[in-house]
Amino acid sequence: MDRSVEQLATRVSAARAEVEARGETFYPGPSRIHLAAFPPKERWDDWVELDSRAWPNRVEKRYMLVPTTCFNCESACGLLAYVDRETLQVRKFEGNPEHPGSRGRNCAKGPATINQVTDPDRILYPLKRVGPRGGSRWEPVSWDDALDDIAGRIRTAITDGRPNDIMYHVGRPGEDGFTERVMASWGIDGHNSHTNVCSSGARSGYHFWMGIDRPSPDHANADVILLISSHLEAGHYFNPHAQRVMEGKERGAKLIVFDTRLSNTATHADVWVAPWPGSEAAILLAVANDLIQRGIYDREFLRRWWNWEDYLAATQPDVAPTFEVFEQALRTLYTDYTFEFAARESGAPVEQIEQVARIVATAGTRLSTHNWRSAAAGNLGGWQVSRALFLLNCLLGAVATPGGTYPNAWNKFVPRPIHTPGHPHIWNELTWPREYPLALNELSFLLPHFLKDGRGTLDVYFSRVYNPVWTNPDGFSWIEALTDESLIGLHVALTPTWSETAYFADYILPMGLGSERHDIHSYEQYDGQWVGFRQPVLRAARERLGESIADTREVNPGEVWEENEFWIEMSWRIDPDGAMGIRRMYESPTRPGQKLSVDEYYGYIFEQSVPGLPEAAAAEDLTPLAYMRRYGAFEIRKGVGPIHEQVVDPAQLVDMAVGPHGRVYTSAAKPPDPNVVPVATPDPDAEGRRPVGVLIDGVVRQGFPTPSGKLEFYSGTLAAWGWPEQAIPNYIRSHIHPAALAADEKVLISTFRLPVQIHTRGQNAKWLDEIAHTNPLWLHPQDAAPLGVVAGDLVRVETEIGHFVVKAWVTEGIRPGVVACSHHMGRWKVADHGQRAAMATVGLDHTDGRWEMTRKRGGGPFASTDPDTSRIWWTDVGVHQNLTFPVHPDPISGQHCWHQAVRVRKALPDDAYGDISVDTDKAHEVYRRWLALTRGADAHSPDGTRRPYWLLRPLKPGRDVYRLPEEPAPIR
Amino acid sequence: MSATPDLLRALAVLCEPPEPGHARIAAALELPVGPAPGDYVELFLRQVYPYASVYLGAEGMMGGEALDRAAGFWRALGLVPPAEPDHLAALLGLYAGLMEAERDETDPARRALRRTSRRALLWEHLLSWCPLYLDAVSRVAPPYYATWARTLLDALLLEGDLLGRQPDLPLGLRDSSGLPSREEDAAAWIAALLAPVRSGLVLTRSDLGRCGRGLDLSLRVGERAQLLRALLEQDSDGTVAWLAAEAEEAAARHAAGLSGLGNVAEFWAGRASATAAALRESAAMRPSETAETGG
Repeated sequence: MDRSVEQLATRVSAARAEVEARGETFYPGPSRIHLAAFPPKERWDDWVELDSRAWPNRVEKRYMLVPTTCFNCESACGLLAYVDRETLQVRKFEGNPEHPGSRGRNCAKGPATINQVTDPDRILYPLKRVGPRGGSRWEPVSWDDALDDIAGRIRTAITDGRPNDIMYHVGRPGEDGFTERVMASWGIDGHNSHTNVCSSGARSGYHFWMGIDRPSPDHANADVILLISSHLEAGHYFNPHAQRVMEGKERGAKLIVFDTRLSNTATHADVWVAPWPGSEAAILLAVANDLIQRGIYDREFLRRWWNWEDYLAATQPDVAPTFEVFEQALRTLYTDYTFEFAARESGAPVEQIEQVARIVATAGTRLSTHNWRSAAAGNLGGWQVSRALFLLNCLLGAVATPGGTYPNAWNKFVPRPIHTPGHPHIWNELTWPREYPLALNELSFLLPHFLKDGRGTLDVYFSRVYNPVWTNPDGFSWIEALTDESLIGLHVALTPTWSETAYFADYILPMGLGSERHDIHSYEQYDGQWVGFRQPVLRAARERLGESIADTREVNPGEVWEENEFWIEMSWRIDPDGAMGIRRMYESPTRPGQKLSVDEYYGYIFEQSVPGLPEAAAAEDLTPLAYMRRYGAFEIRKGVGPIHEQVVDPAQLVDMAVGPHGRVYTSAAKPPDPNVVPVATPDPDAEGRRPVGVLIDGVVRQGFPTPSGKLEFYSGTLAAWGWPEQAIPNYIRSHIHPAALAADEKVLISTFRLPVQIHTRGQNAKWLDEIAHTNPLWLHPQDAAPLGVVAGDLVRVETEIGHFVVKAWVTEGIRPGVVACSHHMGRWKVADHGQRAAMATVGLDHTDGRWEMTRKRGGGPFASTDPDTSRIWWTDVGVHQNLTFPVHPDPISGQHCWHQAVRVRKALPDDAYGDISVDTDKAHEVYRRWLALTRGADAHSPDGTRRPYWLLRPLKPGRDVYRLPEEPAPIR
Repeated sequence: MSATPDLLRALAVLCEPPEPGHARIAAALELPVGPAPGDYVELFLRQVYPYASVYLGAEGMMGGEALDRAAGFWRALGLVPPAEPDHLAALLGLYAGLMEAERDETDPARRALRRTSRRALLWEHLLSWCPLYLDAVSRVAPPYYATWARTLLDALLLEGDLLGRQPDLPLGLRDSSGLPSREEDAAAWIAALLAPVRSGLVLTRSDLGRCGRGLDLSLRVGERAQLLRALLEQDSDGTVAWLAAEAEEAAARHAAGLSGLGNVAEFWAGRASATAAALRESAAMRPSETAETGG
């Protein structure tokens, strides 16, 4: 060759410098040399890919890559929207590599966002009902008219002294507290979440331990991972946790899974335990007992961080309170929980339970555990499952350690917003009834029964990205309540998509999908803290091109809005002249008398409340808001570590007082903290000093946000509020314990997810529907044979209040005596409106308290703007089993206990697939039966309050309204 | 003296589908005019596939264990493997990245670790197969790509000199076996002949066409295995003799041209020699097949 390698190298570098000096790209086009599995962020403004649809021709497409966050589950994984630079339309979604939680990886639900954006059946314009509620007739309405009508009713309710007539009922929040603060700014106790049909059981178990209601397992660094859940893992932080579980396994971690079904997670397990549903706590306590009896626990950790003094004071007040005495007691507490006992309760082999114990014993402080729904959401007393599970962490000292389990609040960052309205001074007994003083979340699923009982009425009810008719148990009772205008004056459905609940609305207001709205969020997915930013990607793209967008409706499809702007506008219309004190919360800080813009709202947060972000942004010559619009996420800290061990700043110890067991109080004001993540708020001492830490071996450390400042093995709260027998981790026999079943009854487990679906929110995505569109009944061959049932046969499943007809799937992947049916399927519509790919068209008949649903037709192909809809090949869209479940509120946690005692029989000759029959009078009887299990505040409050003030509570009211009213509870 | 990240990236993008932006890179590299329309497809999609697994895998195809090994290297560096982790452009891009990482590292210990990674990538995943591959490209490519191949080979050899050899043969070569017996399984024998790591040969479609034309045999349309089988069916002795001559020539070329590669050159030369010997032996043992069919 004429030139040496060196000479050529010099020429190439010079050419590159020259080209790049002109602002052009030297290495052109899509090439593998860019190394990354993801487009490098430097190229996000002008990313080139070949158009796959043009193959074999090489047609380049140029994109702007704009980050946002997935809205399809709670994980909030990062997405990158590929915005076509020619059309300014989103062409696809892929992972955002800059997102610390998901790290560029997504499950199927993330990329399927594009299906939801282009769904031909989506709701694009505000609608108002015509004719009777539930009549499925709609007419367009302007946003202005809808807002004026709704705001007027809300204003009247507030000014007339009826603030409890307003309720906002949320399914997937997808944001950290924005709407809670809206409710607070209106001065109402109107927040109602879905949590008691979801995770409140598990939350309770964690909360009683540590004053924080979620676990944050560090799976990637664990030696032993113990999951009480189905797929990796049960959908909560599914993708971020699943990838870290697999990293842990790659490091050699052992994975133990408790799951009655052979779930996706179970197939990855080193040890798969398939217990009888509800027996999980028995196994966990047997493991705990083994650790205790063999002395394999972290003695120093127990001595320093368990509230053993409280336990001894309560149970052995006359004995000298030494740790040795406690250890002696501990050795006796769980002796009944032998492996043999656990085996009898669970049906799992003794050897397997022993194997689990032996593996757990090897974990040391690297035991990561997790329970979210599953057993905690299925069983009476399910909250003790997570409490018993976390007992293992507490025994091994695997709390806030590498590979252990952290309190979630330490791995979460909720930045302080521009306005923080005060606590409302009103209590809503429709959501926080006195019977459930220890429930962490609203008794949301009992609302129809409370309304029927005459406990109250609603004038304006918002259902927001929530579908209680379909998701909650006892949906027909919901329909009865929603169609009774004397109980609910106005129902406003804020939803991106059709839902069974929206059919019973007065207004359907279209809200944006994950790429069409603003939110911020932060979730515990590893030992770090990050904030993610969801944004309307077309707005961000057009702003990058120099346009100015004032209202997200300018860029969203049709008249789809986003909620932040909606709530700001709504609040202004409720209080147009500011006389109610609401409007000031939504005024621009820089433009007096003008509306707060979302740019101002988030600009303030990112500038003022996210440590490190302004500096990172400045390094790229960006404002913090522009940085977040460009990258979509920011990691604030990594390796947070054990906050409970941190020494309290001596400057905080003003007028310090120490309680009997080392709780330390101070008169110093709480220092400002930009992180407003919810944690419990233990009470001050008698002199009003606030708890600031806990004395451990003479040093004041941060401790945990519990009354004792320590991990509460013994919950004085449970003991004082009527449940002394449940004060320590315990095993409660479930309502579906074998002893509670008739000989011909089986257990139906319904809480498991399908990995690609997510309640109502996934079924407007054609790709997901094609993968998963039905929910047959899992039936073991031993159970199928006596029934004469083979796979595909119709079976009738009878619950306490009715029955449903479904297809059988005969499989050895489930325990004999237990059947299973996923709750993700069985969507329906009564008229044309709806998701035609995933909803059956049904007939409804309501006669004398009995509801009958019959299927007219299933899904099928249809002509639309999307040619794929003409290729729909499936008709089976599953059966809506939840309609046949009565409510089962756990008397302590308030969690709906989903598991059902059922009878399964071969379908009768007249039965047809999808038939559902329910007696709502019986449903009400069941509600009353479970209500009778409670120990309400009226009889058991130790201090005349409605509930312990220290417990977490959404939209926590002022302390003044915690006091029980003079009049008795309105129980009828 | 060494190549530079820019040079390696520039060379890497040229084995991607051509596009207008390649012109200025080609100009900087002083490549001949080109490529002509169709050159890229003919060369990289029909003749010499730029994937390590084709040359290091026992199957002689894309994928398999050799691909996993390349993907594993990405993972070992803490990177997510791209869709085609063993594509030449991806490996060169990675190598350029490692060069820069080493250059930018201020901590001596870490810099030494970067160097170790770079050396491992060079020998395990580039020099283990690229010399053979680029030799094949030079034989069948038009001037534009032939010059590209020679420049790239020079650059890689320079890197090899700079970083020094590895004591051990690259794993992909170390674990490989030679040709199986033709008599026991003719299909497996043909497959092995077409798998470079087993035969020491790169037999392109162009090479097989040359064989057919030389022996005056008709050429079948189909994958290379079918093509070679058809040649053998028409004239087994002639084809085997042609293959043996190719193998001997390759052995000589490897021994002479790759001498700077030490045990890697010995491997390829040795494998081609063994193939030549086996073919000669096979021809000697087998009765003539084609001579009987004409009568």
